[in-house]
Order: sequence, then structure tokens, then C-alpha cells
Amino acid sequence: MAPPTPQRSEAPRLSWGAPRPVDSFGDRDVAGSSEPIPPRRRVVITGIGTVNALTSGGASAVAEAIALGRSGIGPLRGFVPEPGMSGLAAEIDDARLAALVDPAEARRLSRICRFTVAACRLAMRDSGVGSGPGLAIVVGSEHGDFRSSEEFAGGYLQRGPAGLSPMIFPNTVMNTMASVAAIAVGARAPSVTLNQPTIVGDLAVARAAAIVARGNAEAAVAGGVDEICALVYRHLRDLGALSPMRGGGPEGCRPYAADHNGPVLGEGATFLVLEGLDAARARGARIVAELVDQAWGNVPVSAHAARPGRPDRGSPVGRLLAAHAVSGFRCVYGAGNGDAGVDDWERGLLARDLGPCDAPPLSLAPLFGQHGGLGALRVAAAALDAARGVSPVLVHGIARGGCRTALIVGSLDPGSRDHE
Amino acid sequence: MTRAALPRVVVSGLGVVSPYGAGVKSLWTGLSAGACAIRPVTVIETEGLRSRVAAEVPAEALDGLGVSRRRSRADRLALAAAAEALADAGLEGRDRRPAACLVGAVGGGMHEAEAWYWDEVRSGRPAPGRQRALRSVLPRAHADAVAFRFGLEGPRETLVMACASGAASIALGADLIRDGVVDVALAGGVDALTRICFMGFNALKLLAPEPCRPFDRDRRGMSIGEGAAFLVLEDAGRCRARGGRAHAELAGAAMTTDAHHVTAPHPEGEGMIRAMSLALGCARMASGEIGYVNAHGTGTPQNDRIEALALARVFGEGRILVSSTKSLVGHTMAAAGSVEALATILALEHGLVPPTANLTEIDPAVPFDCVPGTARPADLGAALSNSFGFGGQNVSLIFSRLSH
Repeated sequence: MAPPTPQRSEAPRLSWGAPRPVDSFGDRDVAGSSEPIPPRRRVVITGIGTVNALTSGGASAVAEAIALGRSGIGPLRGFVPEPGMSGLAAEIDDARLAALVDPAEARRLSRICRFTVAACRLAMRDSGVGSGPGLAIVVGSEHGDFRSSEEFAGGYLQRGPAGLSPMIFPNTVMNTMASVAAIAVGARAPSVTLNQPTIVGDLAVARAAAIVARGNAEAAVAGGVDEICALVYRHLRDLGALSPMRGGGPEGCRPYAADHNGPVLGEGATFLVLEGLDAARARGARIVAELVDQAWGNVPVSAHAARPGRPDRGSPVGRLLAAHAVSGFRCVYGAGNGDAGVDDWERGLLARDLGPCDAPPLSLAPLFGQHGGLGALRVAAAALDAARGVSPVLVHGIARGGCRTALIVGSLDPGSRDHE
Repeated sequence: MTRAALPRVVVSGLGVVSPYGAGVKSLWTGLSAGACAIRPVTVIETEGLRSRVAAEVPAEALDGLGVSRRRSRADRLALAAAAEALADAGLEGRDRRPAACLVGAVGGGMHEAEAWYWDEVRSGRPAPGRQRALRSVLPRAHADAVAFRFGLEGPRETLVMACASGAASIALGADLIRDGVVDVALAGGVDALTRICFMGFNALKLLAPEPCRPFDRDRRGMSIGEGAAFLVLEDAGRCRARGGRAHAELAGAAMTTDAHHVTAPHPEGEGMIRAMSLALGCARMASGEIGYVNAHGTGTPQNDRIEALALARVFGEGRILVSSTKSLVGHTMAAAGSVEALATILALEHGLVPPTANLTEIDPAVPFDCVPGTARPADLGAALSNSFGFGGQNVSLIFSRLSH
């Protein structure tokens, strides 16, 4: 089976045209509000931490993995797939994970919680930001800790009430990753867990940026996490949600390609540290890039659909373009993961918002596989692009069910900024 | 950043499906009467468990919601509560189109998925209902269903924050309005009774064998409930301009994290105190302006003692009325924060504090009038609702009465 071809191996040089005027919530009337809305705090990215199929570490590890362009997708190792069905994944080597989490701590944490704790600590170390009541945490996950749910239920099904484990039960709630990570890094401002498919990592970063921008926290560690779980993998496959879905062609992750036929699952955690610009400067932080603005919305389609029956009247891209005088994006990262419906839908939405472009957005799914951390990896990649002068960058996402995200990432160097 | 510089957020619509049945009216009738809806469990197996009682939504009420039975139990609750809230706000198609949709959820469609999965494991062969159960098993299924059904095109979020999920959705929905992202948001929470939740709290020995007795000296744990509740949050100016009617103002909200323990609150209530204090700061209110606190009040020995400690630190011993509506409708999990937000708003509107049921002898460590047994008339200007959850999640919401 041929490995999937990564979509990129060098710094992006796409140029998207000037945006078209787009519909926004044009009938919005805030004139009746008591007072004007205060200016938002500028938000910057000061740290990156990741544990994924290719690498683990801080900003340099992410940069190196993307530059190498090698794919982390390969035959499943964690369990044996049924013959003739999907059998690829981007999995994390447990030996590498073991090196990141102290054995005593690892015994208390489920595998997905170990991903989360390790990546959050790496991001904090990369940033140098402090913990405390000013630090928020926002975690996005597509599936949560299903291994623990299965184990907890299995205890009862095998042994009755005596088989119910009070130690496992808390892991069955999806905020368990945020809970243990908050304890591990000392995050005592808001702790938020979000659940969405495909775009939850970038949604978590966007939500965290809003929390910092409005002053509900001084800083936030934000991103996403998921793990490969046999139960989830098999059921997604049964639902036709994994490559090769229900069609033909070779299994593989080929976003935006003519022969795309479904996503390949990955696993891991990626987190970014976001801070207010003034606070970051005051402590002498290394600023990777500015998260200029973010928006999220949804195109109302039925829960698992990728074919909208209604237009996207509240396009988050449109809202950002209306708020910022962007003359064009040097690079666009998309959520395309090989799911033909979503890939095509995303290209259509972007063409409507930004004008036609022959080249598709950049996808990182062929490198890392689809998982909750992928959206945060997209934002991290955009920040690393901006750090070397490729700015501004749009990070875009759309998921089945219609949830849509947009984030503008830019260089902080005034000479390279054309988005204010 | 001062409150004066921010748009004011009002609550212009309320909707609920509770263990009393469908609708705000039935909720208030039950709460104000002090009717305990906690009864023997009928919808899941409880053989051999420490507790076998819960507050279920009655079958006849569920059947009368007008939502397809093909949907998950939780989706049915959410869709009915959301429909009532939007109708109460008078928001028709075009008005509600830009609304954000924030749903606090934990169990998702697990009630059905468990039935299918357990059947399959026990029988050793494929069981029917798999496809349908799997498609709606995740928490985000409710927000997807609600946003699509009602054509809500604003930001959509599913917040999984344990027992604080419903309250968090309200706090974050208000932020979207205060930030000028949207003028209107549908925010709330939903959870149906699930085996995994019921058995999990049994395993933790946090469930009472009898209906829960918050703040009682002999309390033995909590009682699980189920339901859904939604609030329509709206920019006060927009609500006024369209001739909408507001129930109350969401004057302040705050969220904090203990970062102490996954299942136990901070022993000094540090995160709780911070949440309440920040909410007061957000509302620009002094603690003396709050007349009533709808407590998280689960009925576990630890929660009630620490919450009382935190309340005393923030408000002073005995200075406020405190009650736990969980003693009436159980702990509705992800819905609890929004169900209790409704209860708090209704208490303000009616000038009547719902009681704490099953409270016969107050714990000496709880230095408050916890309104035992019977609802209490009270002229309230503002009230606070607390929601705390696993992971040390703390959310405090402050609602104030509007002078019409």
C-alpha cells in the first residue's frame, strides 16, 4: 500500500486574491445597546507543544516535521483490523509517549490524558508562561476517552456492580483531559472542553483567543486531542466515515485530490499558549506570531451532512474580512482531510469568500491524520509561517454538520503586517 | 474593562423539560410547591446498586414533546426545551437566524448507544439500532440537532464541562453578546439518564439511597435527574427595539478552575469563592445586593460543606437565603446549570424562593437559612446560581430583576 502523498513540503507561497464582498449579519443592530464595545486585547502565540505520530516537542519539532513532509500514516499497529477494511492510521509510538510522562503519573492517567498533559507541558515550556488564576485551558476533542468508557462498561458487563471502577469513571466524561491538564500545568482560570468533528482543535484555539482578548484570562493553553481507539475506529469505518468510505480506490488520505475517498484517523495532542500582547511583551516572551482575529459559525445542515441546503450567510471568513482590511492571504490552511464532501464544500466556501483560486488550501491531514489536535497543528503551522514573514495566513475549517472556523494569523513584525 | 462599557445581556426566553414534565409552567409549579420528583428508576437497570432512585422525565411527558421517537432521548429533551425558549422569546425565523447556539452536554446519545452496545456484548451478536445509536452518541449531537432544526446560523459550541456544562454555556453565550459577535444566543444544557453516569456515581459512592437531602446533617449523597433547559440571551438594546419581553438581566458571570483534584472540590472552596467574587465584580454588585443563592447543593457531604464555607466567605454567614433545587428535580448533570438558572430567574420574577426538600435538620456547618420544605416569599433584586463540576469547574451566574 503506497503511503499518502503529503500536500506540502516547503513554505507555502500561495496567493489568494482580494476578497469578494460577502454577506454578514448585515441586519445586526447594536444601536440599542447601552454602551459601545471596548477594544479587544491583542492576542499572540508564545508557545507550541505537540505529541503526534511524527514528533513530540515544541515549536521547532512542529516546524521540522512539517518541513520534512514525511507522513505519519501507516498500517494500524494498535489493533488488528478486519481484512478488506480500513487499516491505516497515524499512531503514536508508546515508547515515545513513555519518555514524556513520569511513570508514576502515567499510572494514574489514561492514555489520552497522557497525550494532553505532555503536550500542554511542552507548550508551557516552549512559552515560559506562568501558571495560576490567570491561565485558562481550552481542550477540543472529537471523541474523548472512549477507551475508558468501554473499560468502565466492560467492568459492569463482566462482573456486575462489583466491576464498576470509581477510578475509571471520571475519565468517561469528556472534560477529563482538561481536568488533569489544568492540574498538571496549574491552570485556574476558565477550563473549557469543546466537542466537534474535524475542526475542534482550531475551534478551541479560537475560543481561547476570545477568552484572552476579552480579559477573562491573561493567557490560555489551547488545542485539541484524540486517540485511536479500536471501538471508535471500527464504528467510524462501519459508518463509512473512513477512507475508502464506501467507494473504491486505494485507502489513503488525499485531501482535495480528484481521487480523495475519506479521511485516515490520527492521534495526538497539540496545544498553543496564547497571551495578551502587552503581558507577553512585559515578561519578555518570545512571540511566535499574532492571532489577529478569529470567528466561528455554522452553516445549518443536518448533523452529518456536507451538502448545504442553505447558504452560509454568517460566514466567519466574511466576518473577519469585514473587520480587517486584508488585501489577500499569503497562505490558507484548510480542514480538508480527504472526505470528498467536506473537501469540495470547503473549496466552494473559500472561493465564495476569497475569490477563485486554482490551488487548494494546504492540508496537514496527510502528515498527522485526522484527530482533535489537527486544527491546533494548522494554527501552529500558520504561526510558524508568520514567524518567517509569510503573513497573513488564514486557518479555515469546516466540518460535517456545518460548524465553521476562521482564524487570521500574522507576523508581529510591523514591516510584514498588512492586515490592520 | 468596566461593565458600563459592555452591552447588557437580558434573558428574553425560557424553555425546559424537567422531571415535572414539559414547560416552564410545570417546572415552576413543582418547584414552588416543593414537590420532590425523585422516584424509583424505571429506564435503566439498577439491580445491586447503592442507589435506585432518580428524577426521570415522565414517559407521558416525553411522548408528548412532539419530537420524533427516532431521535435520542436527550435530543428529544433538548429540541423541546429549545423550541419553548425560542417561542417564549418571540423569535421567528429571520430574527433567530443569526443566533449563536451553545449547548452544555455530557452524555450525548449514550442512553441509546449503551442499550445497543450492552445488548450486543451480552448476546454476542450484532444488535439492532447500531447505526442510529452511533450517529448521535457524542455530546455535540444536540447542538447539531438544535441549530439545524431551528435554523440558527451563528456560532455553535458544544461545551462538555461535567455538571457545570449548562451554566458554562450561558456564561460563554453572554460573552459572545458582550463581545459584539452576536445579538442573541440560545444557551443551555441537556442530559438524559444513562447507565454509565448512574453507575459511575454509584461506584464513587456519591449517590444517596433515598432522595437527596442537601444541607441536611444526615445527607448521604446526591440523586441523579435528567432534563434540558435553554435560555434565550439577548442584547438588551435589540430586545427592547424589537419589542421583546425580558425575564431578567444576566448581570454577571464567571468561570474558574480549582486545578486541585479531578473529582473533589478544593477543600477551602478557593475556586468557588473566586467564581462568585468574579461574578459579583462582573455585575458590579456588592455581595449585599444578592438576596438568594441557588446553590450547587448536591447533597454530598463534601460539596455542601465546602460550598457553605465558600458562601460564608463571600456573603457572610446567614446573610442570604440558600436553597438547592436538586432536592426537587435531582442533579440533571449537564442540564443542571441551565435548569437552575431558570429556577433562579423564576424566583426573581415571582418573588418566591423555591425550597430545599427533604431537609429536616440543618448541618451546623451550613450557617444559612436553606428554606426547608416550603417556598419562601422574598423581595429579591438579584440572585446567584452556582454550578460546580468534576475537574474543579466552577461557574457562577448572577441574574437581576428588571424594572418593567
